[in-house]
Amino acid sequence: MTSGALIFQSVILGLLLGGLYALLASGLTLYFGIMRVVMIAHSAFLILAAYLAWWSQTRLGVDPLLSLVVTVPLFFAAGVLLQRGLLARLRPATLTMMSVLLTFAIAVIIEGLLGYAFTGTQRRVQLGYGTANIELFGARIAVVKLIAFGLAVAALLTLYLLLKRTTFGWALRATIQHPDAARLVGIDTNRVAGYGFGLGLATAAVGGTALALDTTIYPSLHWHWIGPLMAIIVVGGLGSVPGAAAAAMVLGLTQSLLQIPLNTTWAQTIFYLALFATLAFRPQGFFGGRLAQRF
Amino acid sequence: MSTRLTKMRWATAFGATTALALAGCSGGEEGSTSSDDPIVVGISLPLTGDFSEPGKGVQRGYQAWAKIVNDKGGLLGRQVELKILDDQSNADRVVSDYEQLIGQDQVDVVVGPFSTRLVVPAARVAEEYGMLFVEPAGAAKEVFEQGFKNLFYAAPAVANDHYNHLAEYILGLPAGQRPTTAAYAAMDDPFAQGTAYGLKEKLEAGGVRTVVDEVYPPNTTEFSGIAAKIAASKADLVVGGSQYQDGVNLIVALQQLAYQPKLAAFSTAPTSPEFAAAIGNKTEGILAPTGYTQKAPYPSNVEFVEKYTAQFGTPPEEDEANAYTTGQVVAAAITAAGCAEQGECQQKLIDWVRGNTVETVVGPLSWDATGKPQGAHMIQQWVGGEIQIVLPADAKEADIVYPKPAW
Repeated sequence: MTSGALIFQSVILGLLLGGLYALLASGLTLYFGIMRVVMIAHSAFLILAAYLAWWSQTRLGVDPLLSLVVTVPLFFAAGVLLQRGLLARLRPATLTMMSVLLTFAIAVIIEGLLGYAFTGTQRRVQLGYGTANIELFGARIAVVKLIAFGLAVAALLTLYLLLKRTTFGWALRATIQHPDAARLVGIDTNRVAGYGFGLGLATAAVGGTALALDTTIYPSLHWHWIGPLMAIIVVGGLGSVPGAAAAAMVLGLTQSLLQIPLNTTWAQTIFYLALFATLAFRPQGFFGGRLAQRF
Repeated sequence: MSTRLTKMRWATAFGATTALALAGCSGGEEGSTSSDDPIVVGISLPLTGDFSEPGKGVQRGYQAWAKIVNDKGGLLGRQVELKILDDQSNADRVVSDYEQLIGQDQVDVVVGPFSTRLVVPAARVAEEYGMLFVEPAGAAKEVFEQGFKNLFYAAPAVANDHYNHLAEYILGLPAGQRPTTAAYAAMDDPFAQGTAYGLKEKLEAGGVRTVVDEVYPPNTTEFSGIAAKIAASKADLVVGGSQYQDGVNLIVALQQLAYQPKLAAFSTAPTSPEFAAAIGNKTEGILAPTGYTQKAPYPSNVEFVEKYTAQFGTPPEEDEANAYTTGQVVAAAITAAGCAEQGECQQKLIDWVRGNTVETVVGPLSWDATGKPQGAHMIQQWVGGEIQIVLPADAKEADIVYPKPAW
């Protein structure tokens, strides 16, 4: 009954979706790696970035991609401030637990402010090329999804090169691997952690914009995202960016293919099934190493 | 289930007793209705929370109705006064609101809130007190399966009957032209799903094969998976049981996959003023059922549109019109029965509405024993960048275009 064309189309959609998931989850895993912080507000920042992209498009007439010029530095600064001003002040003994409460509060504040500023009405960026598509061996690829995927690849590649090829990247990875040892060799781990947080939030700016290109946004949408994203970083191995990316691709693809025999609701459950399976059989994750020991 | 019902009865009884006791304490004003007192209409509306947008629309409709009635000297020589409480879109809150309105505030009549989920609990309270309950928003079939004897839905048709004119048209096509396969995608919501499944039932009975039948949760934002299934099925017609944004997203996702059906029908979304811009003006041939249009030629509608626009600055939409219709039905009943207070009068009002046809802004309305209106929605179609009534034949502004041009 299921045709080959539908499977091929679903594989393409799944890969595009997986790429987007990878970008959205990369920041989340980075925060955990850097300072064992569970950043519930990450998806709220994604939605905030999506709203800024929408706002610049509808009110200023600027293409949402151009809004990145402002939102990326803005989010980087916000991330540094957030880490230096709030998270670094939490007591190390209860850091992980308290960071959940703190970032939960931030998420609720962002949601409330978005609702106040833009109302609860669902919004969608309206692009001239919103329904444009390319044919590939009988399957159709929407241009907006391709752009979102391109953004994800570019952002993740930049992140990878930054971490692997720059002095800051080495310092950040050293901080992730062993903060005490990093301090011993002269790394200012506090400053590095602040910048690392900024980097995580900068990925949220890119991710939110990519998200806004082809889906509806509303203030409480971040609750819909945080669950799957958390599942992705656990499956990928907490703290591992390549692990999160690999898990995101696999889960995105699986979700898309499961939509063929199942409906939307059941296809979503793959995230939670994968989460349970990981916690039960391989708590350190399938793609990363032991909790953020390696990058 | 039965224990829950019993618990609810007890809670209601307790609430009623408390309310009565409180009313007794405050001096007991029953029976002191003079002809100068205003007729107080009690309403609970979702002015905040999930349904706040339509809730406010319904509120504007009621306000317009009260103003237009009062400008003409009121009902039975008495002015109409609205008493509106905010239920925060919460079904528990709506129950206590109506308890308060009827028991404590001693309103003369009550009318319904917005959304099926809130209409059912509210109607149950009204029934306990024997009050007439005309409502603007409970279109799902569950509303009429509760055995209410006091409830009337003030709109042309329930969700499952919205597409009746379209079903008739499709099944009336000559065998060579008639579509043979259909794809359905509906939101997991009693109203949205009801519209699509109403048409599905009729088309299946008429021999149109269902090739895709998808249900998605209300917060779905990503429709490419559903769209891929529909596009791969190459169904002749696609039907969306949608609200607003999901309909837009699904249409865009279908267009991204270059799917070109012969007929595309979506509920709610295509009638919204922002629809064309939202899908980049690729609206060609999209059909939608509509319970209300400002262009409908009924005499009271012309007056409603004019005075509403003067009062609020913008013309009324469907939510506003449904609330106004509710007001018209209650007003007709009060005028005919010659009374408006709690007690025996309410049964007179109920009996009158059950036995009569009321002229409203959505046309003449009458009801069956369950309170279900006996009509169908008009069908509108986007033709040349404009949405126009195409069915039924006696109300049409343009001819239906089938098969639809490419979008």
